[in-house]
Amino acid sequence: MRQWFILFNKEMLEMARNFKWVWVPIAFILIGVMDPITTYYMPQILDSVGGLPEGTVIEMPTPPAPDILMMSIGQYNMFGVLIIVLITMGLIAGERKSGVAGIILVKPVSFSSYITAKWAGGLLLVWVSYFVGLLASWYYVGILFKWIPFGDFIQAFFTYGIWLSFVLTVTIFFNAFFRSPGVVGFASIATVIVLSLVSGSLSHLLEWSPAQIAGYTGEFLSTHSFPEAMLPTTLLAVGGIVFLLIGAILVFRKKELAA
Amino acid sequence: MSVIQVKDLKKSFQSVEIIKGINFTLQEGRCIALLGPNGAGKTTTLRMLSGLMKPSSGSVNFSGLEKETDIRQFIGYLPQHPIFYEWMTGREFLEYVGKLAGMSKADVKKRTDELLELVGIADAKNRRIGKYSGGMKQRLGIAQAIIHRPKLVMLDEPVSALDPIGRREVLELLEKLKEETTVLFSTHILNDAEEVCDDILFLHKGKLVESGTMEELREKYQQAKIDLVFRDDMEGILKSFSEKGLLQSYLIEGGKASVMVENIEEARRAIVEEVMKENLPLVKFEINRTSLEDVFMKVVQS
Repeated sequence: MRQWFILFNKEMLEMARNFKWVWVPIAFILIGVMDPITTYYMPQILDSVGGLPEGTVIEMPTPPAPDILMMSIGQYNMFGVLIIVLITMGLIAGERKSGVAGIILVKPVSFSSYITAKWAGGLLLVWVSYFVGLLASWYYVGILFKWIPFGDFIQAFFTYGIWLSFVLTVTIFFNAFFRSPGVVGFASIATVIVLSLVSGSLSHLLEWSPAQIAGYTGEFLSTHSFPEAMLPTTLLAVGGIVFLLIGAILVFRKKELAA
Repeated sequence: MSVIQVKDLKKSFQSVEIIKGINFTLQEGRCIALLGPNGAGKTTTLRMLSGLMKPSSGSVNFSGLEKETDIRQFIGYLPQHPIFYEWMTGREFLEYVGKLAGMSKADVKKRTDELLELVGIADAKNRRIGKYSGGMKQRLGIAQAIIHRPKLVMLDEPVSALDPIGRREVLELLEKLKEETTVLFSTHILNDAEEVCDDILFLHKGKLVESGTMEELREKYQQAKIDLVFRDDMEGILKSFSEKGLLQSYLIEGGKASVMVENIEEARRAIVEEVMKENLPLVKFEINRTSLEDVFMKVVQS
């Protein structure tokens, strides 16, 4: 356990030194506040951009507050996922590619500690960034439109966070497989896209797919109740995370560390 | 006492056999050079010994250890091109690696200061490794390999990338290391091996073509060879020597004649007598010890 904390602390220090602790939260905040603000100012934006004939009356129904928070989550589903894959794809693959893993792993380092410490480090960064981002979105929705009960926000936050954790774990899993961060990134993005597309088009067959979590979060925000499939979906996603982590450790153990 | 036994070690990459079954035993407290031309399989062998690569077949056994024991705590390894976390300082890296190896906090601190001093980068200990020169990285690499006081230290080409001064210093460092632990290092520079090593392992095309102590090898490959230099008319003089049957063959190269003879003692007497008798302008007379380079060439060519 002592070794695990040494590895974990190193991840924390590295993320501080290369400013991940700065730019990732900022990116999540920007993505989070984008939709509430643009939605609120849309009439003015259209007005000032011009191009509309004189006398046009712009009338837009104000969308309900939960829909706007959901728009932010929709953005995380795209840009957030992209950022997560980008910051995670080199965590292990990069160390192996550069060769520093060759120095670290000839020391008596447990492979499971090595992988889970990196996973936990990434997870902490993502959850903190995602929390401040969604909190900013919730705040702007509150002051510009209508306040959503904080309890609802917290529930939505934790629910959708499961999907982001799942994406991160998929990326860690591919890290154990491939030596090149680019390939890891591609494989992870491809997996997420395929999973989302298939779950979206065959939603009646795959209602337990982790990719449904975003949709279920939206449903909860507007109706205050989760669909029945939410519980099995959560269990499946958490099970998937555990399975992928164990898989990553087993694969990594078998891999040759040097080229 | 032996530290490690290697039995019939083989390694193939995509059906190409790189290491074709090698056997050797390393004795405790010795300095062993793993010699061979580029592509002989030195790095692959070291990687298999360190556990970074899995042998296709054969075994590597540490003395006195169960088969399932994690050997990594007993070995130190320096890759050919060591890469570190560039954002760490030299001291942070050593402390990190030491802690990973299970050393106590106080021990790590003491040992880090000691090693930074020993390898000569104490001045730069608080600088980011990204700003280190190649030589400093090599020294840091050696320090991280020995921080946890391993029983066997393996260094892959520790001096090849260094300038002459750095090379000298690292070789002196190896001399010091020898007193503490068993050192195995690969190189293709023969002088380095000759200078610091007790034992030699010759690797060529994935096979162990020769091994033994330095003295054994010298004796085995000892040639009856004398170097001669005459002030002038080398060619003529040597021709006459040859006609008189004083020597078997000769080769003039760079103003120096290398003479092959049957028996060193007889040849010396005969040549000196001839020189006195004919009053030849002899400038240099040297009975040549076989250098490792000669052994190397012989081994590789045979």
